[in-house]
Amino acid sequence: MSNRHLPKPRSQRALATATTGLVALSLAVGSAAAQDTVKIGAPLALTGGLADEGKKQALVYDMWEKKVNDAGGIEIGGKMYPVEIIEYDYQTDGPRAGQLAERLITEDEVNVLMAPFGSGHTKIAATVGQRYRIPTLACVASSESVYSQGNPYLFGTLSPNANMTAAMVEYLKENVDGLSKVAVYGRDDVFPKSMAAATAAAAEAGGLEVVYNELYPVGTMDHAAAISSIVAAEPDWVYATGYTQDLILIRRQLADLGVKAPVITMVTGPAYVEFTEGLGELANGVTSQTWWHHSVAYEGEGAWKTTKAFYDDFLAASGGEDPDYVHGSCAGALVVLEDALKRAGSLDGEAIRQALADTDITTFYGPINFGENGMNQARELPIIQVQDEAIEVLYPASIATAELELLSE
Amino acid sequence: MRAAKVLLFVAWIAVLAATPFFADNNIVRTAIMLAMYSVLAYSWNFIGGFTGYPSFATAAFFGLGCYAGAIVEHAGVPMALAWIAATVFVALFAAVLGAIVLRLRGHYFAIGSIAIVEVCRLVVSSWSSLTGGGNGLNVPLLMWHPNTVAMFFLYVMLGLLAIVFAITVFVDNHRLGFGLKCIRQNEDAADMVGVNTTRYKVIAFVLSAFLCGTAGAVYASWVGYIDPTDSFQILLTVKVPVMTLLGGAGTVLGPAIGTAAFVVLEEFFWANFLSWNRAILGLIIVFLIFFLPGGLLNTSFRRVVRRLRGRESAGASA
Amino acid sequence: MDFAQILANGVVLGALYACLAVGFSLVWGVLNVINMLHGSFIILGGYLTYFAWQMFGIHPLIMLPIVAAFLFVVGYALQAIFINKVVTAPVLVTLTLTFGLDMILYNLMTVYFSATPRQVTLGLGSIQLFGVYLPVVRLLGMALALLLTGLLYVTLRGSRIGRAIVAVRMDRSAAALMGIRVNRIYAITFGIGALMAGAAGALFAMVFPITTNLSGVFLGKAFVVCVIGGLGSVPGALVGGLALGIIESFSGVLLGPQHALTVGFLVMLLLLIVRPTGLVGVKGYE
Repeated sequence: MSNRHLPKPRSQRALATATTGLVALSLAVGSAAAQDTVKIGAPLALTGGLADEGKKQALVYDMWEKKVNDAGGIEIGGKMYPVEIIEYDYQTDGPRAGQLAERLITEDEVNVLMAPFGSGHTKIAATVGQRYRIPTLACVASSESVYSQGNPYLFGTLSPNANMTAAMVEYLKENVDGLSKVAVYGRDDVFPKSMAAATAAAAEAGGLEVVYNELYPVGTMDHAAAISSIVAAEPDWVYATGYTQDLILIRRQLADLGVKAPVITMVTGPAYVEFTEGLGELANGVTSQTWWHHSVAYEGEGAWKTTKAFYDDFLAASGGEDPDYVHGSCAGALVVLEDALKRAGSLDGEAIRQALADTDITTFYGPINFGENGMNQARELPIIQVQDEAIEVLYPASIATAELELLSE
Repeated sequence: MRAAKVLLFVAWIAVLAATPFFADNNIVRTAIMLAMYSVLAYSWNFIGGFTGYPSFATAAFFGLGCYAGAIVEHAGVPMALAWIAATVFVALFAAVLGAIVLRLRGHYFAIGSIAIVEVCRLVVSSWSSLTGGGNGLNVPLLMWHPNTVAMFFLYVMLGLLAIVFAITVFVDNHRLGFGLKCIRQNEDAADMVGVNTTRYKVIAFVLSAFLCGTAGAVYASWVGYIDPTDSFQILLTVKVPVMTLLGGAGTVLGPAIGTAAFVVLEEFFWANFLSWNRAILGLIIVFLIFFLPGGLLNTSFRRVVRRLRGRESAGASA
Repeated sequence: MDFAQILANGVVLGALYACLAVGFSLVWGVLNVINMLHGSFIILGGYLTYFAWQMFGIHPLIMLPIVAAFLFVVGYALQAIFINKVVTAPVLVTLTLTFGLDMILYNLMTVYFSATPRQVTLGLGSIQLFGVYLPVVRLLGMALALLLTGLLYVTLRGSRIGRAIVAVRMDRSAAALMGIRVNRIYAITFGIGALMAGAAGALFAMVFPITTNLSGVFLGKAFVVCVIGGLGSVPGALVGGLALGIIESFSGVLLGPQHALTVGFLVMLLLLIVRPTGLVGVKGYE
């Protein structure tokens, strides 16, 4: 198991590199041999705080690499190229992610970068890519602030947060009688913060009253004070964002301190199996939004032609666990890359960038069309709810598996 | 003797400065980080080495430098001016803060300085209107050729390193250095024989801060994106003293040697022992404390060997 | 906004803080060592409790004494093997050493337990008294925290070992002259510090999701509690913990959760400068 997480590049060279640095930084490494594989660089958080997420990415990267190579590779400019994904562990340490991105580009001579998990680390890796004019594909960064910096080399498969929250507000207004007051509580970190802000804005635009709207800093251990304030404001809808550990605690404290809201939404809590496991029965009734759910049914290009094909492959690879949106989006990003490489007809960074920018295809993951800022354009994103400790899809109607259940406490 | 040390140091700078001509950008990046850490280690040496105050505030100065530089640059001020602004800001911050916290000693000073890092991080992350809060802050990126960019930032960092080294040599041979060493030996006695301890300590504290601020601002311009968690790292604040201790605290060449050894070990372990590198760094620290209590420069290696063989009962006291 | 509820939140949380910090405070006060391992000790206690509950169904309250005893052994051994050798060195050395040991322990835990948040779910709900919600798990935690802290207090006051610890804390060389084996007392004290951390971890596994990422947060709380309450005394940790809990609770409501942590640290810095002995600390102790 742990072997898979070792770096794939030859360790002698890594060792040589370090030794070089040690003595006199004297040995010039890296030779520009004629390239006959597509090299994709992936700094991943395989240890440290985001290890669980990083391993999810690694899992689908391996699936894709194997799938494509078993089929003979990708045809680029009339020649078949096998693919190689080069992974390094950056240990959830931001500066280290930047350093490894640079190593991937300069020493491993990768053609494309796959960004690590989260908006912050995506920014760091994409900045290095931009400097070298190497495209970066981000599959788990959804904050528009990441894409609004005018980096033409950055493309993301998740859609903007704002569209997601507006749809959520509309759906709840239709399905919950008398919904009028909302409390928003978010973690002060790139993604959770932007989701909280977008929800508060969407709720106000939708005519709801925002009775509580606060952020909590990274390193908050307890939420009693905030939750007492929320309870006192008597909201109909509590919307909380954060990492799984935050959300588990917030959900428990909401129950402990007697919140009576019929709707509790947590992002991205229920999208992860750890959330339901950590809460047991208390997870029931919590709604969430996600970018992708395996019950969608799309047909399109790439290694997996249908959502079902991906789902079946995934079950085999994961030992029976269902994929979540991280798996879907990251596999989707690679499928897009596959298509873009064919269209680019070369491994030149600029050509790949142009092909990615021109993308307008459908994949097993859904339609992909990168907008002006490089983000995938909005579409109908699923709303999900935990019912009987399992995930049900509420929206869009075409793939719904259940109706909204209100919490009554 | 002094000339020999300076010569050694100049040779070291020359080696680092030559990296862009024979190595790829990944190595140059390591050289930039090495130069940057050396600046931080030399800075810390003023307060922690010469004066003997256990300061763990380095990350606060570095992080504030990152943010001050990034904010000023973001507002449209040219890069070099932004670096100067950050330097001045951090120096003032350290002077005011030093006047307050340097009244503490020993453990209380250590805890207080760690708390300063944490307070800075919290204030920066909650002051979103200015700092972008948890979103972090983007700094305009230099879109020159990557090789040029790497070379440019390498030379800037080496420039800072030369400055901090010059100050170190000056302080070491000056009344100030003597006064600081007196404070380290016995602060009350130093006070009695007429060393203005408060003034000396504040000067040492400012010296330990202002170039960290510059280094932070340069770092921000180089990487193009900063956020509160990465800028104010507790790990950084302990790593820098360890580097200095490794080389030899309170010496002229110690910080450079310690930083080089540490960075090289770190790179080596990172590349070869992925999931265990943190533990290995921990082991290095433990080894350092027990077997190299005076740092690489001040250790009799024969004693280390003897101790490793266990002939001498280990009773290390630094 | 209900004043009684805010106060209750603060007191319950504060008791947990006291329990978290009392071992750290003891080690600092007696050994003059800032133990950077303390946060990881708590996490270790929490993980052991969680896995015993999840794999073998052992109730956390049964695990608590076992975990505490185990951590005592770990702490005693670490002190006897490593820290005793530099215990008289300046703070820079001892702090750095414990930080290095902490890196090793942290690494071991991330490799063997991963960073996935874990929590024991007992589902005890909460009771309502005069309109104030009191979560049962936290009340239990508070009761245990007070009990443990009280036990420690009684041990220090009443037992031979306890009196020896207090004697060493007051004057090391005099204690040595009186025939107290100082090094052994140090190891026992460090062991007790780890024991308290392990017990706190077992409690926390029922209240907070435990992940290795929290070790720094726990350590930070211990710093603040110690400085606010005053070092090395059990009542000090209790006062500091309760004070911090109440401060955080009120500032979280009045200023917003974003500033609650900052206020805690600022109070600490202020106290450091104005009254470094803490609210109930002993004067003249450096």
